[in-house]
Amino acid sequence: MSIVLVQVIVGGLLLGAVYALFSSGLTLVWGMMNVVNFAHGDFVMLGMYVAYVVYTLLGGGPLLGAPLATLVLATLGIVVYFGLIRDVMKGPMLAQILGTFGLALLLRYSVFWWFGANFLSLPGDLVGGTFDVFGIRIEASRLLAGIVALLVTFGLHLLLTRTTLGSRMLAVAEDSTAAQLMGIRPDSMQAIAWAIAAGATGLAGALIATFFYVVPTVGETLGIVAFVTVSLGGFGSVPGALIAGLLIGVIESLSGYLIGAVYKDMVVYALFLGFLWFRPQGLMGKT
Amino acid sequence: MRRTFWLAIAIVLVVAYPWVFSTPFQQRLGALVLLYAIAASAWNIIGGYAGQVSVGHVVFFGCGAYAAMGAYTHFALSPLVGLPAGLVASVAIAAVIGVPTLRLSGHYFSMATIAVAELARLIVTNTDYLGAAVGLSGPTVPRNVFDLSFISALPYYYLFFAVLAVTLAITWWMTNSRMGFYLRAIRDSERAARSLGAPASRTKLYAYMLSAGLTSVAGALYAMMFGFVDPDSGLGLLISVKILIMAALGGAGLLFGPLVGAAILVPLEEISNSLLGGKGAGLTFVVYGAIIVLIARFQPGGILALINRLWAKRKTKQESKQGAADAS
Amino acid sequence: MRLSKLVGPLAAAAIAMGLASGAMAQQKTVKIGAVFPLSGNAASAGVHAKAAIEVALDIINNAHPEFGNFPLAKNAGLAGLGGAKVEVVFADNQGSPATGQNQALRLITEEKVVALTGAYQSGITLTASAIAEKYGIPFVNGESVASNLTERGFKWFFRTTPIATDFAQVYYDFFTEMKASGAKTDNIAVVHDTTEYGVSVANTLAATFKEKGHPIAQDVAYTTNATDVQSQVLQLKDKKPDVVIMISYTSDAILFAKTMQALDYKPPMLLADDSGYSDPSFIKAAGKISQGVFNRSSWSVGPAGSPTAIIAKLYKEKSGDEMDDTAARQMQAFFVLADAIDRAGSTEPAKIQAALKATDLKPEQLMIGYKGVKFDDKGQNILASGLIIQLQDGENYVAVFPKANAEKPPVMPYKGW
Repeated sequence: MSIVLVQVIVGGLLLGAVYALFSSGLTLVWGMMNVVNFAHGDFVMLGMYVAYVVYTLLGGGPLLGAPLATLVLATLGIVVYFGLIRDVMKGPMLAQILGTFGLALLLRYSVFWWFGANFLSLPGDLVGGTFDVFGIRIEASRLLAGIVALLVTFGLHLLLTRTTLGSRMLAVAEDSTAAQLMGIRPDSMQAIAWAIAAGATGLAGALIATFFYVVPTVGETLGIVAFVTVSLGGFGSVPGALIAGLLIGVIESLSGYLIGAVYKDMVVYALFLGFLWFRPQGLMGKT
Repeated sequence: MRRTFWLAIAIVLVVAYPWVFSTPFQQRLGALVLLYAIAASAWNIIGGYAGQVSVGHVVFFGCGAYAAMGAYTHFALSPLVGLPAGLVASVAIAAVIGVPTLRLSGHYFSMATIAVAELARLIVTNTDYLGAAVGLSGPTVPRNVFDLSFISALPYYYLFFAVLAVTLAITWWMTNSRMGFYLRAIRDSERAARSLGAPASRTKLYAYMLSAGLTSVAGALYAMMFGFVDPDSGLGLLISVKILIMAALGGAGLLFGPLVGAAILVPLEEISNSLLGGKGAGLTFVVYGAIIVLIARFQPGGILALINRLWAKRKTKQESKQGAADAS
Repeated sequence: MRLSKLVGPLAAAAIAMGLASGAMAQQKTVKIGAVFPLSGNAASAGVHAKAAIEVALDIINNAHPEFGNFPLAKNAGLAGLGGAKVEVVFADNQGSPATGQNQALRLITEEKVVALTGAYQSGITLTASAIAEKYGIPFVNGESVASNLTERGFKWFFRTTPIATDFAQVYYDFFTEMKASGAKTDNIAVVHDTTEYGVSVANTLAATFKEKGHPIAQDVAYTTNATDVQSQVLQLKDKKPDVVIMISYTSDAILFAKTMQALDYKPPMLLADDSGYSDPSFIKAAGKISQGVFNRSSWSVGPAGSPTAIIAKLYKEKSGDEMDDTAARQMQAFFVLADAIDRAGSTEPAKIQAALKATDLKPEQLMIGYKGVKFDDKGQNILASGLIIQLQDGENYVAVFPKANAEKPPVMPYKGW
């Protein structure tokens, strides 16, 4: 295999890890809690702006920006849950789309109002530039995002499968009335799920900001990728989203290089649709 | 009796609106409300009554719009000729994508429709015959009345009103037929509907095709009015979402729900844009988004559901009063 | 059924609109409508256009003797209309051709503007100008490059900006001169997005260069607002073209610059086609890693004390950003429109239209580097032109071609970071 092809695949894997990273939060609320969040991309965007503000005001890199973004977004997640989602969930599924779409516009244009429409960016060497491994170029900022993606996925998976909190959250997602009868408070569990999901999304945003541009409408670009990643992985499967993310990244990269960049998104959507034909429950979803 | 009375009043009000609010912009606003009401009502058949949340309906909208503009661009025909072509194409496309995707449950169906819509947008963006990224235009100067290119919004207004009336009549007829009965059963529980012998797959597919055909009519009318379609305005996901939230906000699965939704959202968007958009600070969407959030928060079932509930409450109150009077 | 319930709010809103427009009507002002993308993906360009027009308004409406003989600057207001002030009503097209047309209609019928300018995206300029044509209101566009805009047989549409055929020629001349001075320019790659802008410029370049016996060797198309451009950069790295021409909006331009650095790819010569590479946000975000990039522009700041230098300063004060080519072209279009109204001495659309047709501005009367402004039958400015600038220090562009306008000689090869 030529060295360029290796570079393409490595680049695809790193890209895919980033996709997985900003999809992990959506897996939790959409896949597990069964709530569609159209504002997900805008949560990523807010995480990016937190990182940007931390850099411009305090001069801090992702070491400071990422935890802060996690904290800010986790708080926002709780506020959004109690302020909107809790009531919206009483209505039909459409109300979730309605509410979170409104929320997306509200968040996006509040940021627009405050920061303006200009494209912003963090300096490229904030996370140690780029290094060379046997002729393969790897950006430190993307590698960091990739490693964090693995850690977040692993952490979420452990949380849901190995802890009491996790099983309680799953119980609420499965049947909240039954869970309540067992002494679990659905409200707290849902709120915790939203805090974790939004926090992970904020973390993702802060890390992506180290190698991507920052603009109020960036969530639109990223949100749709997260939707495809989560559904390809299978609703309710955290490892599924990771595998799906990596898969999409590599497919995009390879098809972009071999066929042409114009076709890479088409290839992804077509493969996704074809895949659903054979496996209607996604990669690792429950039937 | 009472129902007919209110319906008559509503029709009179809709007919009279452009004469009361007679500036060109107000008339156009009215026409846009009716146009989006057609699209949202069409979506309502599959999304509201059948409970299959399609987020890719823009495919059919775009199909109608492109057919109308294509008829002019490629064949120098009236865009009106493209309308039936777009309708047939939409129904065919719905059949092709409906068979595999309608098997999918819930979120997977929604996601699959999104993927189809994005795929369609990307393909059209790279297809020269369909104008690629530049898009297709209608006649710049109307050659005759069949080009449907008017300065005044008035002809559009009544045309859209007529189409909306037909759309709603079809919907009404459908809900009262066996198909409507099946659809409601499927929405409540597909498994239960199947076990009771309802032909679930076939019914959903028919509803999807009907919905697609009517959506394409809205698309064709849109393109005729604006004289232009490009991949973003004809096939962008935002259009799908707009149609969907209009139905949801008004009341999905209710005959007049989408109309109520359109009558709230279209003026809200245009007027907030007119008053705030020129400042260039994004305030339009802060207001617009906040209002949608508030409605979803306090009225998750849609505005019309609230009105119906209040109505029912008043009725029961009256009845109980009546009962009390009788008793005494 | 309960339709009556919705007529209430609709009526209230409609009345509010009527009142708002009534109250705004004033005597002795000339109202011009401006439709720009003030929200959505292209909002950054729209907000800059708004600032540029506000600076132009300041220059027109107040006495600015420091501008010397620059048209409309010396006295306050429009002399041709007894010193009448110009007022601009801005509207947001939200990046939608439908909204753009609705707002153009509102400006014409509710705000009673006498002329329109805008609307940035070619598709929206198309629908907005169509309604202006129906109402017989002049529409002056300063930035949309799609060629079909002036091919519609419109009588009320005028465009001041150079279009793809104009700058394809400039590029060709530039390459010819660079080749004469020893640079290799044989193997050219064009990287472009698949928006109407990217495709129409790429196609025109391909056609022009082919005609001159110098076909484009590599065409790399991508979908705009990409999440990743590694594969495109690697394709370029494989083929090693002598020249890479980049036709990209700001978002993708930033991503390309960052990715080229990450993958350590530097073409010997990188030429950008305006747009993203002119955006001050691009220079802030990626200027330091794009040193030596050539770019097309019709704008240059010029020597201290010149009208352009004063405009640059006023613009910076207004917007907080450096003036860029797109904003400058929009500003020039607005000046052309105001000048026509001034010469018409009337706010009657037909007289403004006649004045626009008679427009014959000389280079010294412009704030941008065109050879003049003069419209052909289709409404296209036949004297529009551009120059090549270079980001030599990673912070400020300097003019390098043609020689007559050059501030500094071009520096080769592309330095990057």
